[in-house]
Amino acid sequence: MQPFEFVEPRTIDEAVALLSAQPESEVRIIAGASDLLSEIKEGVIAPRRLVSLGGIPELRGIQATAEGLRLGAMTTITEIAQHPAIVSRYASLAQAAQGLATWQIRNVGTLGGNLAQRPRCWYYRHPLAVCLKKGGDRCYALAGVSKHLCVTGGDRCYIVHPSDTAVALSVFDAQVEIAGPSGSRSVALGDFFAGPGRDLTRENILEPGELVTGVVVVQIPPGPLYQRGEANNTPLPQRHALSTAERGGGGISEVRSLYLKARERETGDFALVSVALALELEGGIVRQARCALGGVAPVPYRAHEVEEYLQDKRVSGADAVHAGSLALSHPRPMAGNGYKVPLARNLVKRAVAELLR
Amino acid sequence: MTTSTIGQNVVRTDLQAKLTGQAKYAADLKLPGMLHAAVLRSPHPHANIRSLDASRARQLSGVYAIVTPFDAPPGKVGPDLAVLDTRVRFVGDEVAAVAAVDAETARLACSLLQVDYEVLPFVLDPDEAMKPGAVALHSGGNLVGGKPLSLERGSVEQGFAQADLALEEEYFIPVHSATALEPRAALASWEGDSLTVWKSSRGVHQDQAILAEALGIPVAKVRVIGPFLGAGFGSKDESRLGALTAVLAQRAGRPVRLEYSRSDEFVAGRTRHGGRIKLRVGLKQDGSITAIHMTAALNKGAYLASGPNMMRRLGQGALYLYKCPNARYDAYLVYTNRPVGGSYRALGAPQGHFALECLMDRAAEALGMDSLEFRLKNQVPPEGQPGRRTTPPGQLIDSQPLEGGVPFSSSGLDQCLRRGAEVFGWGNPPNPPLQRRARGNFAPPTDPAKKRGRGMSMMIYRGGPGFTSAAEVRVDTEGRISLVCGLMDVGEGATTVLAQLAAEALDIPPQDIRLMFADSAATPTAPITAGSTATFSTGTAVVQAAAKLRQQLLDLAADGLEAPVNDLDMAGGAIFVKSDPARRMSLSEVVRRGVGGSEQNPPNPPLAKGSQGGFLSASVTANPGSADYIINSFGAHFAEVEVDTDTGHVRVLRFVAAHDSGRIINPRMALNQVEGGISQMLGFALSEELVTDQPTGITLNGSYLEHKCPTILDYPDVQVIFADVVDPIGPHGAKALGEVPSVGVAPAIANAIYNAIGVRFNQLPITPQRVLEALANK
Repeated sequence: MQPFEFVEPRTIDEAVALLSAQPESEVRIIAGASDLLSEIKEGVIAPRRLVSLGGIPELRGIQATAEGLRLGAMTTITEIAQHPAIVSRYASLAQAAQGLATWQIRNVGTLGGNLAQRPRCWYYRHPLAVCLKKGGDRCYALAGVSKHLCVTGGDRCYIVHPSDTAVALSVFDAQVEIAGPSGSRSVALGDFFAGPGRDLTRENILEPGELVTGVVVVQIPPGPLYQRGEANNTPLPQRHALSTAERGGGGISEVRSLYLKARERETGDFALVSVALALELEGGIVRQARCALGGVAPVPYRAHEVEEYLQDKRVSGADAVHAGSLALSHPRPMAGNGYKVPLARNLVKRAVAELLR
Repeated sequence: MTTSTIGQNVVRTDLQAKLTGQAKYAADLKLPGMLHAAVLRSPHPHANIRSLDASRARQLSGVYAIVTPFDAPPGKVGPDLAVLDTRVRFVGDEVAAVAAVDAETARLACSLLQVDYEVLPFVLDPDEAMKPGAVALHSGGNLVGGKPLSLERGSVEQGFAQADLALEEEYFIPVHSATALEPRAALASWEGDSLTVWKSSRGVHQDQAILAEALGIPVAKVRVIGPFLGAGFGSKDESRLGALTAVLAQRAGRPVRLEYSRSDEFVAGRTRHGGRIKLRVGLKQDGSITAIHMTAALNKGAYLASGPNMMRRLGQGALYLYKCPNARYDAYLVYTNRPVGGSYRALGAPQGHFALECLMDRAAEALGMDSLEFRLKNQVPPEGQPGRRTTPPGQLIDSQPLEGGVPFSSSGLDQCLRRGAEVFGWGNPPNPPLQRRARGNFAPPTDPAKKRGRGMSMMIYRGGPGFTSAAEVRVDTEGRISLVCGLMDVGEGATTVLAQLAAEALDIPPQDIRLMFADSAATPTAPITAGSTATFSTGTAVVQAAAKLRQQLLDLAADGLEAPVNDLDMAGGAIFVKSDPARRMSLSEVVRRGVGGSEQNPPNPPLAKGSQGGFLSASVTANPGSADYIINSFGAHFAEVEVDTDTGHVRVLRFVAAHDSGRIINPRMALNQVEGGISQMLGFALSEELVTDQPTGITLNGSYLEHKCPTILDYPDVQVIFADVVDPIGPHGAKALGEVPSVGVAPAIANAIYNAIGVRFNQLPITPQRVLEALANK
C-alpha cells in the first residue's frame, strides 16, 4: 500500500477545495472507510490523499424538514436502521439498513459511502485483473465468472450496483444533495446513478471534486409501530394509515413498503438480488406502486412494468406471480447468472404477496 | 483413586489466557531489533523466472535482506517444493521475500523487484492435465507417482456381474479453504549458527526437520517453538513460511517476522483438495451390495503437500464403510496450476463420503428401502469385511485396511445409526418418500415455496495406529508435576486432555500439572498433530509415562515408609500406607529421597530452595495399535433442511450427530469438536468455494467476504450424541474424534435437500444459484 496523506476539513467548502486540488486519481473521500480501505489494501486503488468527512458537523444526522427527512451523508447505517421515523415510515429503507453487511460495518458505514461505494465485481476487486473499469482493455467476466454480475443494463462492463440503501430509497421520492467546485445541486436518486454506457469508470454522475452531502426523502406520514420482520428475508410489511384529512378526502390511505434481500448467508453478504417495493393504498386499491431491484443491473433497477401492473389494481385482484413475471423486461443474462432472472421474479412475487397480505 | 477426571468437563488449560487476550500467537511475538517481511507473489499461473533485479529494492531505505530464487539455499521444504524456485506454478506462488524495518517498507520493496517472467502455458483441470501434451508442472509429469493408486478387495468385475442393479454417478468437489482465524506467521532469530523459529505449526519437530533440510544445517542447530495456534485444521504448515523467514533473518542479522495477509492465507495457504469422483455400486434386489468401485481424479494444485495421504483417505469410505466382498478404489492425483491442496480436516474423507453417501441414498431409494434401513442392513459389521486377512500375524493392522477378515476393536456404528435416528425422530413417523411427502411431525413451513426434507449419512474414520509419540512426566523436589510433551496443541485442546490423562494416573487435579509443550529443544520428539490421533497415540504415551512415574514414586516411598508397595496409595500429592494413612510422605519428600537428598539430609551439591534442578522423571515412547483389530471411529449424521424454492437458499434447521469415538475423555471439548466440524462443513456443503478463474488462473475470491463461511446465524440447532463405547486399546477407551465430525455433514445435507425438492446435487457447494438452476431445469 502506497503511503497517503490524511486530511480532515471542517467544512464542506474546505472538503471540496481539497478534493479539487489534485487529479481525481490521487484523491479519495474517506467516510466510514469500510469499502475504501479494502480497495486500498487490496491494491485496487492507490490514492495519495484521503479527505475525511468525519470532521464536518453538517454532514451528520437525520433531521425532519418541511419536505421530509434529510439524512446527512455521514449518517451511519446503524443510525438509519434504528431511527424511529425511518423505522415507522420508510420500512424498506430501515429493513435494507438492518440487513446490510454486519453490525460492525453498519456502525461505521455511512449513507453517503453506501451510495457511492464501488462495485464488488471479483475482477474489478482483483489487483491482477486490469479490467475496463480500471482502464484496461477487456471485461474478464465475459469469459470468466459472471455469477454476481448484471442481467440487464450491461454495456461492455457488467457490474451490479452493490448498495442496499440505494435500492430501498428508490421507492421513495428521494433527492441526492451534491456539493462541488461549481456550487451545490440536487438530483433525483434515479438520476444519480449511471451505468457503464455513460462512463465505464464511474457508477454515478458525481464530477471530479464533488461529494454527496445528504439525501432528502419526501414526507410520509407516521404509521403504526414498527413490527420486527421475521428472519429469512421475509420482513413483515409496514402499514401506514393516512387519515382522510391528510389525503385530502377519499378513503383511508396507507403506504406500505418492504425490502427483500436474497443472499448466500444470513449476514455479512451482499445481495444476489434484492427488491424494494412501496405501495400507496387507498380503499383497497393501489394508488401508486414503486418497485426497484438490486443485483440485476449496474444501477438500481426500476421495475416499471411491475409498477404499471399494480397501478389501480384492487388488492384482492392482484396476481403476485404475474407481477413477478414482469420484474425484468428484457433480461440478457450472461453465461453464469441466468439464475438471477427467476430469483428476481420470485422476489417480486414474494414482495407483492407480502405487501398485499 | 479419589475422583476420576476421565469423562469430566475439565476446563481448558488455555481458556483464561485466550479469553483475556493474554495468549500469544506467532504474530504477537516481538524481539528487539525485529524486522518485518513481505513476500512477492507470482502474477502468472505458470512461468519461468528468467531474471530478477533487486537493485532498486535494495536501495530503498529500511530494507535489510532479500531472498530470491537465484540466491536461496538449495534445500527443499517439501518433496517438490524448493525454498524458492525459478519456476512459479500458480498465481500467488512465492517469487521472493524482503525483510525491512516495517511491513509497509517490505511490501514497497517487493513492488520494486523487477522480475522477468517467461510465461508458460498453464492447466487448471486434472483431466486436462493428464492429457498427452499437457504442460508439465514438475519433471515427473502431472500424474503424481506416474500412475494411479489402485486398491481392490475381491473382484469388482465379478461383483458387478452378480448385481441385479448397478448405479453410477459422478461427483464434483470444490476447493475450499480451512479459513483459520489466524493467518500463518513466523518469527526467526539466529544466535551464531543456531536458529530459533516461533511459528504457526502443527508439529514443531516436523518443522525443525524441514528447516534443517531447507537451510542445509544440522537438526540440532534448529529450535522450533509453537506458540498458541489460531487453528490450522491441519493446514499449518506445509508452506515456505518458516524457511523464508529464517533465511531473511540470517541475511539481515536481525530477527525477522513474516505474517501472511488474509488473502495470502486463502490463496497461498493450503486448501482442501477438489476433484471429480466417479462412483459405481452393484446391488441385489434383497438390498445387499455386491460391488463398490470409486474412481477419483484429484486436483493437487501446484505442490504435493499431503496429497498422497489425502488420496488414500478419500477412498476408505468406499472400501470399508459398507459390507461388501468386492471393493475397488482408483485414484489419480494430478498437478495443476492452482493453489496448493494440503491437509485440511479429514483430508479426503469428506470428499469420498460425499460421493459414497449420496449414491447409497440413491441406492436405497432404487431398492425401495428407507435410507436408515439400507444402512443398518449394509453397514460394515463389528467383525469387519468379508475376506481374508493379508497382514502377517503379529503385525499391526493398518488404520485404513483394505483386507477383510479383521474385526474392529470396537464399533459403535450401529449404535450411532439407531440412537441418532431415535433422537432425530427419523422413523417416527418414517421418513416420507418424495412422492408421498406428508409433512409428518415437521412444523409446517410458513410459505408454500419453502420445502422441508430430511437426510442422513454415516461415516468411518481411521484411528490407530497413529504416530509414534513420546511423553515425559516429571516431579520436582517441590512435589510439582510437569507433563513434557513435544506435541502441538492446534487449538483443539490436546494439552487439556493429556493433562487429564496424566492427572488420572497420579491422582492430582489436572490444573495442578505444569505443561511444557511444543518446543523442539525441550520436549521429546513428537509427531504432527494430525490424523485425529493426539489423544489416542500421545495419550497412550502419557498414560504409560504417568503410570511409570507413579510406580517409581511408590517404590521410593515404600523404602522411606518401610511398608510394602502394595500397601501404598497416592492421593492429593502424597503417598500413604493404606492400612495406616497417618504414615505418609509428601511427593516432595519422596522426590528428594529419589534425587539423593531430604530436608534433613540435603543432596550434594545442595539444591537451591525451589530449584527444579532435581526431579524424577519417566518417559515413554508409544505407537499404540493392534495386531488383531482395526481401530476406527464411526458416526451417523441426520439433517433437516428447508429449501426456499423462490430464492434457492437452503437453511439447515436441525442436525443430529452421533459419534463413536470410544470413551470421551472431556465431553465439553468433544462437543466443541463435533459442533465445530459441523459448522465448518456446513460451508463445504452450501456456500464455500475458492474459485480460480479459468482463462487467467487468478484465484478470485480469497476473502472472508467472498469465500462464504457460514455465520452463527446460519448455524442449525445441533444435538450431539456419543455412543456408549469403551475401546479396549485406546487410552481409557478413547478413539479418534477431531476430524471425524467433518466427514458426514455434506452428504446428510445433500440427501435432505433431495428429500425436500427432489433434486440430487452431485456438485458442492449447493448454492442458491445451483438450486435455482436445478429447479429451472427440473
